[in-house]
Parts: sequence; C-alpha cells; structure tokens
Amino acid sequence: MASFLAQFQSIKTSFDRLIISVEDVSDLWHMVKDEFERRLPFKRACLNSKTHNPVYVEKLPAEFILTTDSRLRSRFPQEQSFFWFREPYATVVLVTCEDLDEFKTILKPRLKLIVQNDEREWFIVFVSKAHPNNDQATKSAKKIYAKLEVDFNTKKRERCCKLDIHGPDANFWEDLDSKIMESIRNTLDRRVQFYEDEIRKLTEQRFMPVWNFCNFFFLKESLAFMFEIAHLHEDALREYDELELCYLETVKAPTSKKREFGGLEHGDDQAALLNTCNKPLSLVVQDDSFREFEFRQYLFACQSKILFKLNRPVEVASRGYSFIISFSKTLALHESMLPFCMREAWVISACLTLIDETSSQYSDGTMPSDLEKEFYRLRGDLFSLSRVKFMRLAYLIGYGMEVERSPVNSAALSMLPWPKPAVWPVLPADASEEMILQYNPRAKLFGIQRRPLPLEPSALLREANRRRASLSAGNIFEIIDNRQSFTDGSGLEASLKTPPSNKFHGSSMTRTNSSPGNFESSLDRPMRISEIHVAAEHALQGTISDPDLWKSLSSPQNFEKKYFELTKGAADNYHHSWWKRHGVVLDGELAAVYHRLENFDLAVKSYEKVCALYAGEGWQDLLAEVLPNLAECQKVLNDQAGYLSSCVKLLSLDKGLFLTKERQAFQSEVVRLAHSELEHPVPLDVSSLITFSGNAGPPLELCDKDPGALSVTVWSGFPDDITLESLSLTLIATYSADEGAKAITSSDATILKPGRNTITLVLPPQKPGSYVLGVLTGRIGNLRFRSHSFSKGGPADSDDFMSYEKPTKPILKVFKPRPLVDLTSAISSALLMNEPQWVGLIIRPINYSLKGGLLHIDTGPGLEIEDSRAIEIGTYNYSLQSGVNNPNVDDGGNNDPVTTEKFTQLTLMDGKIELPDWAGEKDSILWFPIRAMDSRATRGTSSAVPQKPSIVDGMRTIALKLEFGVSHNQTFEKTLAVHFTDPFHVTTRVSDKCSDGNLLLQVIVHSQVKAALTICDAWLDLQNGFDHVRHGDRRPMSSFFPLVISSFSRAGILFGICLGSASIGDQAETLKRESIINIRYGIKGDRNIGAHAPVSLESEPGIKEQNLVFQSAFVLQRPVLDPCLAVGFLPLPTGGMRVGQLVSIKWRVERLKAEDNMVSSDNDEVLYEVKANPENWMIAGRKRGHVSLSMKQGSRIVITIMCVPLVAGYVRPPQLGLPDIDETNVTCNPAGPHLVCVLPSALSSAFCVSA
Amino acid sequence: MIVCVSVVGHQNNPLYLQSFTEADDALKLHHVVHCSLDVIDERVNNPKKTGLTLNETFLGLLYPTENYKVYGYLTNTKVKFILVTTDVDVRDADVRNFFRRFHSAYVDAVSNPFHVPGKKITSRSFAERVSTIVKSFGLGGAV
Repeated sequence: MASFLAQFQSIKTSFDRLIISVEDVSDLWHMVKDEFERRLPFKRACLNSKTHNPVYVEKLPAEFILTTDSRLRSRFPQEQSFFWFREPYATVVLVTCEDLDEFKTILKPRLKLIVQNDEREWFIVFVSKAHPNNDQATKSAKKIYAKLEVDFNTKKRERCCKLDIHGPDANFWEDLDSKIMESIRNTLDRRVQFYEDEIRKLTEQRFMPVWNFCNFFFLKESLAFMFEIAHLHEDALREYDELELCYLETVKAPTSKKREFGGLEHGDDQAALLNTCNKPLSLVVQDDSFREFEFRQYLFACQSKILFKLNRPVEVASRGYSFIISFSKTLALHESMLPFCMREAWVISACLTLIDETSSQYSDGTMPSDLEKEFYRLRGDLFSLSRVKFMRLAYLIGYGMEVERSPVNSAALSMLPWPKPAVWPVLPADASEEMILQYNPRAKLFGIQRRPLPLEPSALLREANRRRASLSAGNIFEIIDNRQSFTDGSGLEASLKTPPSNKFHGSSMTRTNSSPGNFESSLDRPMRISEIHVAAEHALQGTISDPDLWKSLSSPQNFEKKYFELTKGAADNYHHSWWKRHGVVLDGELAAVYHRLENFDLAVKSYEKVCALYAGEGWQDLLAEVLPNLAECQKVLNDQAGYLSSCVKLLSLDKGLFLTKERQAFQSEVVRLAHSELEHPVPLDVSSLITFSGNAGPPLELCDKDPGALSVTVWSGFPDDITLESLSLTLIATYSADEGAKAITSSDATILKPGRNTITLVLPPQKPGSYVLGVLTGRIGNLRFRSHSFSKGGPADSDDFMSYEKPTKPILKVFKPRPLVDLTSAISSALLMNEPQWVGLIIRPINYSLKGGLLHIDTGPGLEIEDSRAIEIGTYNYSLQSGVNNPNVDDGGNNDPVTTEKFTQLTLMDGKIELPDWAGEKDSILWFPIRAMDSRATRGTSSAVPQKPSIVDGMRTIALKLEFGVSHNQTFEKTLAVHFTDPFHVTTRVSDKCSDGNLLLQVIVHSQVKAALTICDAWLDLQNGFDHVRHGDRRPMSSFFPLVISSFSRAGILFGICLGSASIGDQAETLKRESIINIRYGIKGDRNIGAHAPVSLESEPGIKEQNLVFQSAFVLQRPVLDPCLAVGFLPLPTGGMRVGQLVSIKWRVERLKAEDNMVSSDNDEVLYEVKANPENWMIAGRKRGHVSLSMKQGSRIVITIMCVPLVAGYVRPPQLGLPDIDETNVTCNPAGPHLVCVLPSALSSAFCVSA
Repeated sequence: MIVCVSVVGHQNNPLYLQSFTEADDALKLHHVVHCSLDVIDERVNNPKKTGLTLNETFLGLLYPTENYKVYGYLTNTKVKFILVTTDVDVRDADVRNFFRRFHSAYVDAVSNPFHVPGKKITSRSFAERVSTIVKSFGLGGAV
C-alpha cells in the first residue's frame, strides 16, 4: 500500500471537490451544462456526519463530469477501491425521447443497463424539448415521462425528474438539487460505512504481527480526506486525532521495532508543523510505518489545516504549544542522534512559525474576550519559549554576557539542561579563539555587589568536557555520518579563513572523526571555555539551516536585536492576556536592553512598571534586584525626584537585602541630594522609611487651654544617623470631620538614630477633644518629606507595606473646660466692722496642680488689706474644718489647728501673692488681714420700732483672680462677698417713767457676731435736755461688768436719766442732739467661724483684749405733755352718705396754745395732707396744702375736702394729717381710727328699662 | 526534587518562601512563584473555563513547562501555596498529600499567638516541619 502513497499525495493536492458524473444518454449535456453548473457550489447542503447527525454545509463545491471524461474512465479498479473517495458521489442520467416506441425499445433497455450498477447513486433527468405550443409533442413527452416514472421510480424513492427546455419550470431545479443532495448523502454514508468497516477490521489486528500502520493510515486519512472535501471538517479533525493517537501508541508500544527517528536531513531544524507538503510521505515511510520526526509534524499540520478551516486559530496555538513541548521532549530522547542543538533550533522555528501562522489567520475582535486573552497568552508562551531556546543557543556560542542575569532568565535557563549530544562538538581546525568571554557584570550604582544569578544548569566547561569523554564507539559512526554533510558544507568557507598553520590541525580533526582510536588522543587536553563556544558555534552553523536564525546568532548586535524582538513579542502578548505579571516582568528585560543601549527614557518607563508590580505585592527580593537599575537610569536622566524616591525605596527595603555599606550609600545619596539645589523640590514620601507612633500607655491628657509636651516614638529606617532640619506632626481630632489637622512643629534640628527614637514636641493649647497622629512632615536639607505610616510599637517591620491603617488609639486627650480650682471663703459669719480681721480663703485644686499659681486680691470699696501683717497660708484639712463645734476652738490667732501640716507666710506684692509649691496639689487655706471701713456712726433704734441693721451695709467684696497652670494660662476669677458687722446692735426703750420725773432708760445690746463678747464697761453720753440721775456719773445703774454675751444673744443695761432743762448748758452743748452709748468690750472668737479679735491685737499680746470701744448713737425724745394743735372731725351731714354721692368732709384745726420760739421762724401757715384709701374714696380738690392759721392761742380754721365714696359699707373716712408738726403735739378727735357708714347708691330710673 | 515551596498571602504578598536548591539562586524561584500567581489569578477569575470547583483547594499543575512543574493550592482564606518541582513524573496524589500536610503545618504556624497575620512566617519550627514534609515528598509514606 505504501506504493500508493505518492499517488495519494498527488490526489490530495489536486482533488478538492465532490464529483457528480453525468451520463449523457441523449447527447443533451451541451444544452443544459450551463444551467447545471450555475447551481454550483451547492448552497446549504444537508449532509450527515459520521454519527448520522445532519450537518448543514453553507457552500459545498462540486463538479459535473461526463462519464466519458478521461478522468473517470482511466482508472484501474484497484485504484478505485483505494481512492474511492474521489469516485462520483451521484450520477445524473440525462435522457430525452419523443416517441413512445423508441422509449420502449431502445431507451429503456439502455437505461436499465446503466442503472443496474448498485454502487452508484443515480437519477434520471428527462429533458423535454417539446415546444409548449406544440400540443402533440407536449402530450407525447408527458406520456413518455409518465412511462419513465413507472419504470424507474420505486415506492421508496423517486428517481426521475423532468426538465422542460422551452417551458419555465422553477420546481425542476429544486428537485434536481434535492435529488443530487440525496445521492451525495447516500454515497457518503455508504462510503463512510465502508471505510469504517475496513478500519475496524484493521484495528482488530492492532496487536498482531501483520499489523501495518501504513494501511491503517491510508484508510484513516482517506476517510478524513473524504470528510474534508465534503466540508465535514469536524469529522475530518476527529479522524486525524484518532490517527495521531494510534500512531503515538504504535511508536510507544514496547514491542515496536527500533525505527529511525528522522530529523537528520538538512533543513529539518526548521519546523514543518504547519506544512503538510514539506516532505512527501513516501520519503518518510519506513517498513510498515513512518519516521516519527516527519510524520508527527505532518499529522499536526493536517490538524491545523482543518482547524484553520474551522476558523479556530486559538486552538491551533493551544494544540501547537502542547505539541511543541511534547515534541521537544521526544527530540530530547533522540538528542544523541540528532545534530547538535537540533532540538533548540527546531523549537525556535516551530514557535515562530506557529505565531506567524496563527496571527495571520486570526482576525481581531471576532472572538469572545476570554478566548482572545487565551490566544494572546498562548502567543506569549510561544514567544517566551522560543526566547528561552534562543538564549540557550546564544549562551552556547558565547553570548552569555549579553544575556541579563535576571531572575526570569535565570529561572528559564538554569533549570534547562544542557544539550546532550552524544559527543560534544570539537573545535574545528580553523578556529581561532578570538573571543575572550567572561561574564563581566556592569558596575552597579551604589557599589552593589551581587552574586550573579546562574544562567546555566551546571558549569558548561565541565559538561562539555564530560560529554567528550563519554564518547563511545557504538554511536560515533551514526553521528559522523550525519555530520559529514555539514562539516563538508562548511569546509570550503572554513578553509578560506584558516591560516596555514592550522591546516594540519584541521586535517587531523577529519581523521579523528573517522577513527575512534585517534579521537582518544585529542582528549588529553580538556577544552577551554572559549574553545567550547567556538566549537559550539561551528556545530550550530551546521545545524541551523534557517539563514535568518543563523544571522541573528552571528554577532552580539544581531543577537540582541532578535532577543529584543522575542522578548517584546512575549511581553506585548502577555499584556493582552490574563498574565500581566509575565508581561511586566518581561518589560523589565526589555528595560535591561534599553539600559544597555543607553536609551534611558524607555528603560525608566519599563523599570518603573516592574518596580510598581513588585512593590505593590511586596516581593522585596525581586524588587531589590530591579530598583537599583531604575535608580541608575533616573540618575542618568537627572530625574531627581524619581531618583530620590528610588533611593528612599531602596532604603526601606528589608534590611537583609542589602549590605550595610550599600544602605549607607543610599542614605548618603539622599542626604547629598537633599542638601543640593533641587530644581523642582518635591515632597518625598518616606512612609516606608520613617514611621512613628505615640508612646505606649494611656494618651497624654491635658485640660483645656493647657500646653503640653507630646512624646512621640519615631522609627528611622536609615542605616546611619540622619539629621532632620525640622519636624512636624499633625494631630487629627477624632469625631470631628470639620476640624482640619493641626500641625505641631519642632523647628530644631533633630537627629534620628537608626531604630527607635523618642521625640518630644511642644504642644500649644488645643481645643478639647481627642487626637490621633496624622502625618509626619519635615525637612532633610532642602527636601520636604512626609510620612503617613504608623509603626505599631515594634521594630519597623519591613513588609508592612499594607499596614497603612490609621491607629485608633488617641495620642492626646484635651478635656472640655471644667473647674480646675475652687476658691471659697472659709468664714461663715460676719466679721467685725472697722477692725482688722482675718479673712480665710480656701483654695481647693480640683485634680489640677496649682504649682506656681498667682493670686490677685483686689478689695472692693470700703475694704482694704492690712499691710502690716503677713499673709498666712496653711494646709487645709476639711475634716477638721468641718468640725464647727471643735472643742479646740480658742481665742483665734496663730495657733490655728488647721495649720498643723504646712504653714508659710507670704507677702502681698502689687496686689498679688504667689502660692507656695506645696500648695499646688493640696487644699490650702489662705488668711489675710483686711479691714472694712464704715465711716457712718452706728445708730441705735427704739425698741418701739425695732429695726434690724441692713445686711447690705456690712457687705464688702473681694475680687480674686488666680492664675495658674504651666504658663499661667489658666485663670480662675471669683468675687467673694464678706460680711461685716458691728459687734452690737443697740435698741433703747424707756422702761419706766418714775413718778419723780426720772426715767429708767434700758439700753438693749444684741450681739451680732458668732463670738463671745465681753462688755467691760459702758457709759452713756446724753443729749441736751437730759441728764443723768447721778450727775456726772455716766455709768449704768448697776455694774455687773464684765458681762459676757454669747453669740446672737442680748443684754440690757439700765441707765437712770432725768429731764434736764433744755436751756441749760452752754452754746456748745446745744449741738449735742444725740445720746451716745459707749461700750468697751472684748471679743473672743475663732477666725474660722467669723468675728474674732482684731488682727493688730494679736500681734501685741501684752495689750488687753478688752479695749475695743463700740459707740452707738440714739435720740431721746422729751415727752410732750400738752399738745399745741387739735384736729377735730366734723360731723357728717345727716341722711348718711351714698356711694357716688358727693360729700364734703370737714375738719377743724384749732391752736391750743400760742406757738413759742420753736416755730418762730416759720410763718403762720400750717401744712396739711389728706390721706384716703383710693379704693374707697375719690377725692376732689387739693389733698395737700398750706392753710393759714394764726399763731395766737384759740385761732381755728376748717378744712373742707369734697369726696365721693366708692364702696358701700363701713369704711374708714379720709384722715387729715399735719406733716410738719410732730404727732405728739396734735390731739385728734376722735382720738383713734373710726369708721363711717356709706350707703349703697340710690336706684336710678335711668338704669331701669320699662317692662 | 522539590526545589521550592512558598506561601503567598491573599494580597499576593510573599509570606514564606523556601528554596531547596544547592546554589544561591532563590531569586529565580521568587520569580517563578510570583509569575505563577498569574495562573492562579486566571484560574480563580475564570472558574468556568478551568472547571475549578468552589470547594477545591488543590489547583493542580499551573505550569506545564519543560523543565520544572509548578503546583498550586488555594486555601479558603485565599492564601496560596505554591510548589516548584523539577521531577518529571509527579503523581497528583503525592502533590495533594503534600499540600494537605503543608496546609496543616501552615495552620499551626499562623495559629501561634505571636504570629502577626499577614506578615512573613518566621517560625523556625515551621521551617523544620516544612523541610520534613519536603523530604518525604514522593515517598508515599506519611510522617
């Protein structure tokens, strides 16, 4: 069967549509041919798939061929069965006949003969040439056609149709189509069945020795091909898939014979995985099977061809990638047979072919987006696979130093084993070791020294030399055979370049190749690495047939170009896929190329992307690899901002990633730049480098308006001390959004040590609220920086790139305004007026230190501070103070019980005193001497009209202002009221009018103070007109002195007095209109309670205390024995008074005795005044006025007032008073108050309404 | 041979990475692990396509490269475990078993009250346990 392969191949290339044969019985084809062919290709043909499901083919190409055509006639029967798929799928029998007899005798037997072949699907087209006007002919044609139908149609199937050439018949063409389609469908089904049966038969022999893969392949591919030309691509693909499976099983079968693998021919390094016609199969056939190398590629090419037809380039890429990987593994198995690095070269070309082909078949936007992403991903994979292999080849020939030793390259190359040729290529005879290859890493910025990452799985030198040693005689000939071609091919070129001196060596190499014995001798010296490179290059030149690929390996520049192209291809494709990281990482490789080519702009752009990727996800190890490169580019570009931030990022990386020396280099760069003139100073974010937090423990608590000192922990990530020119920190009030952050600043230069630093910042008064730390800002040189990051108390963690969450712990609490101190008066009762007295002031701090407090004391009017005495302050013990009935209370003064603990004397300076330090925390009591001034003389009152002295008179105020707090920022003001009073209040009464004209005057003294008063002495200075009973003795009647009066009690003192003559005495005495009681007294009181002995006395202990003198004046009145005026109420008119009736009320005023000198200066007028209750009376006329009354005794006058009573009943009438004249001088008639009767008003008809 | 095991946090940040190669080339394994996150992302974001069921923690083979294999495992807290091996023939069951034991070691490590969630795992006993698990990988025995 293998012999038919070539033919099969040629048929496959030429045959591309279904054949429909035309049996032109009546020579009609030329008439209908055009019409028939216009139907092609068939639209929306319905075929059956292999599984008998209907499949609609949009356009089914087909061809009508006459049975007489040479293409159909010249086939041998055997050929027919092999290539059955190309036999006609339907047979159209074209007939016409005009005569029934002719039909019966000639045509019918002939037709029977034609259609007797069961194999064929046939149907008859009867062509009627009858003109529609020709009834006879038409009728005859109809008859014949009817006959035809009877003869050839069966119940199951109609096989006839009729075409009227002259008459339009649209139905015919539809009929024809359906008949053709039916035939094709049936043929196809039958042939599929046939192939299936054949294949099944063969499959059953799979494990028998007679099994021949070629036969199986023949059938399987015929079937696949048939599906393909019938446009049943899915079925065709499935056949190829099955074929591939079967082939792989055949190859892998342990029993299979050792076969050639293939791949040794020139050009095999260029993958033909998409080219079905690369090599004729007849060339790769081997016994009963095919060479794996070519055949698997062929199968893949067939599959992809169909996939492309199905418009599935993504699947081609996806299958292709897997195919390349698996095929590469297969190549690795046969590597020892294959040319040097054949595998790598093949993979590169396979990837690139696949990329090109799928890209050209792929049209944008037609696929769902996830499929599209997948497609790009696959292309990225293909690019990067070819990139890796390309780098490997380049490394072998000595471009290793051109390959960036980045993690990505290292990962790809260092785990990729070296090629394993049976023997490592030897140095060609003509080689000159012009290449001195050593990896010479670029000197990196900051003097960073890293061990370069490996690009090689093991040392190439050892590997290559080991491979040479492992040479064995068994396989050498195979290799030599295959190599002969290329060594010869390059021989000419090599000999041209070879210097004569090397000639001998070259020839010895040739000899060596032919003789294993001699080969051993060249092993005495191991190859040097440069020799290995040269040898590899030489060998590769033989392997690689693709001039483009070879060119790109011919020089470092070309290599770099290709490398860049592949990397960029991979990166761009990955960017369009899900695999963004792959794309970005490859961008970094591109950046390295840009960097090397000094295209710094582009390099920076790509490096930035890579850095952002690594930094964003915290891959610091990888970041540490790229970031110095970025910094270097930025430095070259003079991008100061970027460079600075890169340096800061470098510093903030994990400390273990760089040496201390390197980190110090970073820092010195930052400092150098910071102190240089920055063109565009930008704030630098050092959040990752300088972190800060409040101190552990509770927040700082401050009262409103208080400044403070905030202590903050700042962690520096710098390796050395760093000087910050200024530092400020914002405080953010929690729970108040409107408040902006407030900055607190330390303008002094701060030096941060590496690690933890505690910094204290002066905190101006803040508004009440609680605050958290906001942003740390500051300056290093001319550089402003910010940090948003909060450390959590532990060492600044290098990987807390995500921990930007704000701390909820407040650092500072400022309380709402509250009373911080209380000033209260220590005394509860009145003090002595006009005497120096101690005023106690309790200063009570309320959870707040008053240290350094300053108290301003401002006395109000009528009050002054006694300068003579020092001010005292002592601790105040509330429990002692509250014991009012403390038995320890004695005579006040210095041995104050409350001052037991601490006691200080202070002086008043400019109205203020400074509190001693010990008074800052504790309650204290301050005593200062004051004196209330009252110039008014105290007046006694008569007991008949008892009058309490007004409290207001004794009230004095002291304005106090306490300044305290750290900088006297807090003030407390209070005005204290202090009550002063005289020790006594005096009332007098005449207790008895003795019959002898003497009077007994009782002076009652009321104690006004909460202290024991001792009256030592009392004497009375009388006014004119009075005299003591015992002339000259002003003392009281009886002497009980000293008399002790306890607080708020009273005592009476009796004086005997008599009326003296008013005229007695000299002129001076006449002025004495008031009597004065003088009381000498002493006082015993506690200053904690109230009145006490005057301050000045305390200081002079020798002086007796009872030396205080109290004076009170009062007026004595001489009794009036005979009044001088009489007022009489004249009787009211009879008939009584009525409400509303005008009535005149009259009084008669009569002078009882002639006025003497007392009113001599006055004229004879008397002032009168009428008083009436306005609710009862309405008064008409003058209520007050002067009337003339003669001075003579008995003169009289009547005063009349008109008035109207307003209410009925007994009411008090208006009364006449004489204000100028003392009541005692007036007698009234009636003497006391009296009532009059007022009648209701008379009825008035005017108010009556007639009934 | 397992060349690297790694724990990657739910924000794709490395929490633990241990390489088991002789050479000083852990950085390339950082790269491999980092890039394999792309595959995990893709699988997690396209559960339909990849047929990843909701409760399946084992992600299977992430990278079908020629020379090494990367396997992934995703915990329900979105922490990823990644295993890089150079073994050619790896049984799925072995990898599953490995991940299961690794997971329990991880859970023990992060349950340490001194461990800060989201930070790198620095526990020495975890490292020891991991290396034990790695050593026993593929032997089939339970340790």
